[in-house]
Amino acid sequence: MSLRPKRVRTRLTLTYVGMLAGVLAVYFAGVSVLLFWQMSTVLKRLAAEDLETVKGLLLVSDDGQVDVREDFHHHTDWKQVQERLLEILSPDGTILYRNERLGNRTIGGPPFAGEGERGYSGRSARMSDGTPIILISRKYDLQGRTILIRVGYGRDLIWGELKETMLVLLLASPLVLAGTAFAGYKIVGRALDPVTKMALRAEQIDSERLNERLPIENPEDELGHLARVFNAMLSRIEQSFEQLQRFTADASHELRTPLASIRSIGEVRLQQSASPEEYRDTIGSMLEEVNRLSGVVDSLLTLSRADAGQIRMQVSVFPMMALVREAAALLEVLIDDKHLTFTLAGEESLGAEADRLYVRLAVVNILHNAVKFTPPGGSISARVKCTNHSQVELSITDSGPGIPAEVAPKVFERFYRLDESRSGEGMGAGLGLSIAKWAIEANGGQIGLANDPHSGSTFWLRLPAI
Amino acid sequence: MRILIIEDEDKMARALRTGLEADQFSVGIAHTGEEGFFLASTESYDLVILDLMLPEHDGMQVLTALRQRGLAVPVLILTSKDTVKDRVLGLNAGADDYLVKPFAFSELLARIHALLRRGKQELADRLRFADLEMDASGRKVFRDGKELTLTAREFDLLEYLLRQQGRVVSREMLARDVWEETARYTPLDNVIDVHIAHLRRKLDDPFAKRLLHTVRGVGFVLREENP
Repeated sequence: MSLRPKRVRTRLTLTYVGMLAGVLAVYFAGVSVLLFWQMSTVLKRLAAEDLETVKGLLLVSDDGQVDVREDFHHHTDWKQVQERLLEILSPDGTILYRNERLGNRTIGGPPFAGEGERGYSGRSARMSDGTPIILISRKYDLQGRTILIRVGYGRDLIWGELKETMLVLLLASPLVLAGTAFAGYKIVGRALDPVTKMALRAEQIDSERLNERLPIENPEDELGHLARVFNAMLSRIEQSFEQLQRFTADASHELRTPLASIRSIGEVRLQQSASPEEYRDTIGSMLEEVNRLSGVVDSLLTLSRADAGQIRMQVSVFPMMALVREAAALLEVLIDDKHLTFTLAGEESLGAEADRLYVRLAVVNILHNAVKFTPPGGSISARVKCTNHSQVELSITDSGPGIPAEVAPKVFERFYRLDESRSGEGMGAGLGLSIAKWAIEANGGQIGLANDPHSGSTFWLRLPAI
Repeated sequence: MRILIIEDEDKMARALRTGLEADQFSVGIAHTGEEGFFLASTESYDLVILDLMLPEHDGMQVLTALRQRGLAVPVLILTSKDTVKDRVLGLNAGADDYLVKPFAFSELLARIHALLRRGKQELADRLRFADLEMDASGRKVFRDGKELTLTAREFDLLEYLLRQQGRVVSREMLARDVWEETARYTPLDNVIDVHIAHLRRKLDDPFAKRLLHTVRGVGFVLREENP
């Protein structure tokens, strides 16, 4: 079990109060030392005065006794002295005088060597009955006799004073601490209020309500910053969630279309009797749809693996021109069939550093796209050059109708088709260019469409050069 | 030739049996891994077709157990898992070939023939079909005594069709074996179709009898008669 309070608010308040209590304790200790020192100084000065007073009042009687002058018994100074403990000794320790308050107790015992010889000597001592006192003594020369006068003050005098002060301070401190705790609790509560509000709001955000955002009370402070960071994260999540939803919807549409065809082709054929030739044709047509379905599933799997980062690139260095030539050779029959002219220009030596297989796939897809959309007799030109960012760039321009500017950003989106009616054609599930985009970007490159509506479209891709 | 099919899905198993029986194989079916293991180790088969997703013991366990028994019968795995990792796993466990669902039946047939032929005979150099004659290493082809002028790709295509004569060849098989494309999603279908059209123009158009036929939805086949 942990004694640590769960709530930040309590924890902070307790920390405040604890720290304040510590500070107060140090402060009290300092105050008492100072007070003690001050009181001792005052006491010593007082004692010196007392000693002088006593000395002035003493006389040596004819029989050698030390006594107080009778006429001064009612002197105010004397009265004051009578409240102290007073002892007068001869240098050999014989007690010459004790005042009434002292009675027959002794203070300090026999004098030590040199006591009171140079100035006042002060020390802590105990009386014969054990009462702690502060003792100040001095040697005087009185009418030819040397005497030692000692004045004692009960230690209670200082301690009592100190205790009183401390008591007042200690009694006041719980009030101060309680007040601080209360105020601190309130202040912390107010400071943490936005956090509570944010938590409440965050609890309500789920996949259905991803458009909600956390409240920002003060955009400048730390909590505002936190809320902004969270909101930015929510925006990103919302975006990818929407993308995913769209992708799923598109994918199921793509899968549903061939399924619907298969179903209706089969159902219609079964409703009427037909010749084996016709049945064969029907089954063939169903199989065509199955192939299309398989193609879509393959592409989807590839893309989902790509999204999950499961496809590792095997980077090598290869000449770009040779790769483009290879891709063009693969599609040569299609180019020839449409009587297109294909030209390739650029520096042979330019090499790219990437996974050759996937780059080739991307180039084939882009080129295939160009072949598809260029009318018979048109031309396709490819150009390889070096950009100033140490990248190698391939651009493929066709003489087709071009791509309207408003749809240009969409051509790399999954399932996007320029021409909806062409959906049945081979690879044309609208994934070719998005696979190309993924392949290039996964290799640290960029892909894009430079649009000129008057002269066909130009696709470009850039890859890290060596 | 006897083939054992270990496949829990009955519809699939029956379709395979029908297809294989039409190709003159005799076929046994096992619906569970246990039954399959029992049949494969007690009766002698020339080839085992093994589905990986089986109830109780999965295909991989069956394969491992068979190999531990020292049975060397060729095993062709059918599966819907198509990552490189799965492939490597299957081949390491002792499979001889690996086919991903959904596959073209013609492809399965070609693989089976390749596995059964393996190590037995060299590829023939002189191929014949009807009045067609090919010298594979000399890269010459004649029909009815007249030499046909083919491009390199058209020649490869025809050679492949000749070696699979009488069997339907799918576009995927052509893409992989003739074009040697490893990525399944390279847009090759149009390319293949155009090549076939070109080949047909040279092979069939000048002659009375058509040899190269398109089987709709499946692929292409060299056949003398319309089926």
